[in-house]
Amino acid sequence: MSDIQQYLYEVDKHKAAAKDVAQNSARKLESKELKLINLITDLEPYINAKDDAGRRSNSIAYLADVLDAVSPRVLSGQERRLLVDFILNRLESDTEGTGSSARALLALERLGKWDSTLAQRVLQTFADHANPLKQFKLQSERYAILQLIDLLMAKYRTALQSLHDSDQNLLPSFIALFEGEKDPRNLMIVFSVLQVPLAEWDVHAYARDLFDAVFNYFPITFKPPPDDPYGITAQDLKDRLKGCIAASGECAPYAFPALLDKLDSTAMNTKRDVLHTIQACVVSYEPKTVNLYSVTLWDALKFEILAAQEEDLVNEALKALALIATAFSTGMDGPLTAYLRPIVKECNEHLEDAPTTQSRAAGRILHAVSSAAPVVADRIVKGILPTLFTLFKSSESIAKRRGLIEVLNEILKAYIDMHASGDALIVEELKSHSSDALEVMLRAAVSAPKAEVSFRLASLNGLVQLTAIPKLLSDEEVERTVDAVTDMVLNEHTTGHGDIRGEAIAALTEMAHTVPQTVRSKAIPAMMVDLPDSPSDDTSYRATLEALARLSTETEIFDTIVVRLKSRLNAARHHQASMSYQHALLLALLYAFTYGSPLQEDGAVRSSYFGDYAEPPLALIKEAAPESRDSAETEIVGRITNILLRSQTPHYQSTVYRTSLQWLIDEQRTKCASVQSLAPLSLHYFAALRPEVVEPTDVHNLLKTLGNLLLDGTNTDASTSVLLRHITLLINKFLPAKSMQASLQDAELDVTRLLTSSPTQQQIHISLAITKALILLGKTSALTSTYLHLLLDLLPTASAPTARAFATLLAPDALLSKANHCAISPLHKQRTFALLTQPLLASLKIAEPSKKQPYLLALAGILQHIPYTVLQPSLPELVPPLLQVLDLPTSQSTAQDVKPPILAILEAALLHDPDTLSEHASSLISRLLTCASPPPKPKPVSAASQPTVTPSTTTAPPPVNSAAVRAKALQCLTLLPTHLKREVVLPFRRQIIRKLVPSLDDSKRSVRTEAVKCRGAWMGMEEEAAE
Amino acid sequence: MDTDNKDNPNPTILNASDLPTRQRDAHAAKRPSLFDALTQDAYPNYATTDLSSPEASDDSDSESDPREEIDEQEIYDLISTISDPEHPTSLASLAVVNLPDIFITRPASSTSRLSTVTVLLTPTTAHCSLGTVIGLAVRVRLEQALPPRFRIDVQLKEGTHTTADAVNKQLADKERVAAAMENGTLVGVIRNMLATCE
Repeated sequence: MSDIQQYLYEVDKHKAAAKDVAQNSARKLESKELKLINLITDLEPYINAKDDAGRRSNSIAYLADVLDAVSPRVLSGQERRLLVDFILNRLESDTEGTGSSARALLALERLGKWDSTLAQRVLQTFADHANPLKQFKLQSERYAILQLIDLLMAKYRTALQSLHDSDQNLLPSFIALFEGEKDPRNLMIVFSVLQVPLAEWDVHAYARDLFDAVFNYFPITFKPPPDDPYGITAQDLKDRLKGCIAASGECAPYAFPALLDKLDSTAMNTKRDVLHTIQACVVSYEPKTVNLYSVTLWDALKFEILAAQEEDLVNEALKALALIATAFSTGMDGPLTAYLRPIVKECNEHLEDAPTTQSRAAGRILHAVSSAAPVVADRIVKGILPTLFTLFKSSESIAKRRGLIEVLNEILKAYIDMHASGDALIVEELKSHSSDALEVMLRAAVSAPKAEVSFRLASLNGLVQLTAIPKLLSDEEVERTVDAVTDMVLNEHTTGHGDIRGEAIAALTEMAHTVPQTVRSKAIPAMMVDLPDSPSDDTSYRATLEALARLSTETEIFDTIVVRLKSRLNAARHHQASMSYQHALLLALLYAFTYGSPLQEDGAVRSSYFGDYAEPPLALIKEAAPESRDSAETEIVGRITNILLRSQTPHYQSTVYRTSLQWLIDEQRTKCASVQSLAPLSLHYFAALRPEVVEPTDVHNLLKTLGNLLLDGTNTDASTSVLLRHITLLINKFLPAKSMQASLQDAELDVTRLLTSSPTQQQIHISLAITKALILLGKTSALTSTYLHLLLDLLPTASAPTARAFATLLAPDALLSKANHCAISPLHKQRTFALLTQPLLASLKIAEPSKKQPYLLALAGILQHIPYTVLQPSLPELVPPLLQVLDLPTSQSTAQDVKPPILAILEAALLHDPDTLSEHASSLISRLLTCASPPPKPKPVSAASQPTVTPSTTTAPPPVNSAAVRAKALQCLTLLPTHLKREVVLPFRRQIIRKLVPSLDDSKRSVRTEAVKCRGAWMGMEEEAAE
Repeated sequence: MDTDNKDNPNPTILNASDLPTRQRDAHAAKRPSLFDALTQDAYPNYATTDLSSPEASDDSDSESDPREEIDEQEIYDLISTISDPEHPTSLASLAVVNLPDIFITRPASSTSRLSTVTVLLTPTTAHCSLGTVIGLAVRVRLEQALPPRFRIDVQLKEGTHTTADAVNKQLADKERVAAAMENGTLVGVIRNMLATCE
């Protein structure tokens, strides 16, 4: 059996086997076992089988498969030429197997490049004899032909173009070829093939036909099937189609009317596609072509903005308007004038009845168009500002004036946007109005009634913009502006409605960026005047100091501010000003270094700041006697030290450690009394140090001292907290994980020892602090687990506060952070959750109801710090204890603390896993209602005799949940109707609406707000049912 | 509601920053200092409460604070976010609802608990055909959101509307209000207006 016979035998049943046959033939050709002439001769009877179209088609497929498999150089140029001739000749008389013919030609082209004539002939043959492609029913067959045409367009573009130039009849049949194509893969090729003549050929005579051929597909409404293997999206098709429509200005007479017609569609997606396509056309057509339609486009596009439907459509329409202006911005003066004339006219009309929705829209249009180019902005200013100022002066209405200033601000913003993107501004026209603008805005900002907030804010914003446009205002004008805003910051004491100091400070901060010199020379000295060396009372300086601190966010003036603050601090010390004033100045410095923009070097805060700003106050602390140290000051200085030191290099830190702060270590070692007074400083200082900088024996000694001090039990609340945090920090950062237990034993901080036989409160808290350090470290799992179990063993007899203190273990501490070089295991929460939850749940199961409380409190304390995604898988087991937490007696403050976070977990569960809660709906609802119930209202008559008047005598705390619990419970209850299944919650509806009535009269406003929302959510259910 | 034929197609709109809010009226003395956050770590301190005194009740949670009474601003906040039936804008920014036009009359005698809320509405135009619908929506909203000890009185402000008397009569008539709320279309319109209320 010859190869072709075998192939024909297999091809309809086993495609792969047939391919093998063809490859085998190709191999034989290579090894010269088979001659090409014989192969063709063998093919002859099948390829000409008159009555069997399938057979003819399959024989061509065989030829294509063989050619596809054959290696280069096997066939001579002449042989290839003959084959092409053979295939093309056949095609003229028989269209069976056209797809395979295309494949064969593709293979032949791959084996050797064609000359122009041959390429032209191939295209001509297909255009003449395979037209239209839709006669071929199989997508794959049309796909092969389209690939061939695509290849011709890509590689033989000039040849095809000259064919078109010489034969005016080519294009119509070429266009007709693709008519009726619907397959997305094929269309991708059709669009890219059609783009070539559109973009490069002279298609004037057939522009309409070409345009119609592509616009037929507009708008694309293709939705890819869910498991589409080809990955073609609607957006891919839209982009190619857009490319075609925008390819030739010859299409403009058809494209713009057709697109604007579709813009009237009610479908938002169609509108969106139209706007994108118009943008593309405006960019790619010749400006002189766009010019013919610019006013038509404006007339249509403006409605999208003036009668806004969706925000993104407004933005796209604005972008299109701007692109038209951009097209005329280089040397197209006439067209630009013609385009802007109706825009200016219409916007001026809308200004007349400002402030309205349309005057605001006019502002947006002016901003968009002005942003197109400096020359456009200049024209807009020329057209709009005279009218704007005339209207401004002729009206007394503040609302109207505000509307006008807002429009002016939009135009100014265009200048700022262009300046920011590096355009060279043209400010001549604007300059002729800048004095007017400045006067109007200064007057508004300074003298308008304080209650006219929006008017003053608009003016303030305008002043910021005027100063930000380079070369617009004179130096004197800039100074006046800065002075006016500084005056607002310093001398306005409006409280409540009308207080715009915050905005004024923000404005001054922006000015500090654009005109730093003026702010440095005018604003800051004026503010410093408000900060005396020794103020008479404690409130007068506060506002100014806060303003200065906020200004420090601008790098340009940062150094000026901190230098001034420091010198004022020195003066205050010298004049023995009040401690609260000195603290406030230190806090301002701390704020500046924390939230401001200190200068950087090598990716860290500049190191010289440490010497300038941390060392002087540190020296003062060093000199002070332990008992005269002020703990607030020590802490602030500690924080300044931390922030300036922590990012410095190990070398720098090491030097500080061994020289300028060596005294701290020494004093803590030698004078036990000093440890407590220095603890706030020491805590923040050690937080800043890199682990390798510190001497192990220093840590060891310090830990021992801290432990003893805590066990001693004579500390105040605040200092206990500092000492405990200090212990956690030192253990986490500086003790080696490998010898952790030994190190802890050395420091007398082994939890096993601390917790033997009825430990004291102090011992328990120290143990928690130590365990917390190990949990975060995450490298001592055996020891951590031992300690955790020792702690769990305390629970059966633990008091409520002790059980509550378990929350310490995972409570986030800002000091224990990567920035402070702590070791933070990324999985520490997951691990602790896994270690603690199961034992706690097990104990809860067997505990008597009266003994459950400590377990519930401890569990709640752990869960409140666990991310929802971590506890989510255990939710089914957790819901019952979570609900029991809500039952805890309201008389205990610990129970009050623990309920809001638990309610937050339930809220998350309602949002993400409502099904888990469905089975508990009844008990959940009754508990939420109990949590939400408001305090009893004192009787209006006998209010004086009620116990509420005597809160100082420690009678029973209020018998209701705190406002935070009540509000949160109502928030959860609000979610039920929308997140649980209707049939689950509907039975409760009537009861809940009734029981929520008292909450509408809750004593706290925030709770009432939640009650209104909650009741609304439940009342909304019935309406749905009625439909 | 024929959207193409609005009574007032381009009304004046108030800027959001000019609307009265509670925050702006809050007393400045309570304003926290900018620097507070610097020294107060968010770190909870479980150790202290029981070391000092186990019965510590430092968070008796301001329950002992005086009751926050329902005031005019609260009524305003309840109804200011209702949408206008013909513009996608709130009644507050159209100045239909204004804070000075809300009055609360406290109980006249110590034995009575009944307070009265009076809301005067200002329609955007004097012949606005939707005055009744807006009045009804305000009424429904307040009935849902206020405790039963409040009597609710919604009226069009004198001199703002050509048929104010007729509308006011309708709004004050309980039976006519109840009958109106049986009308499915009207209920739908009002639900849409209230949909923007938090």
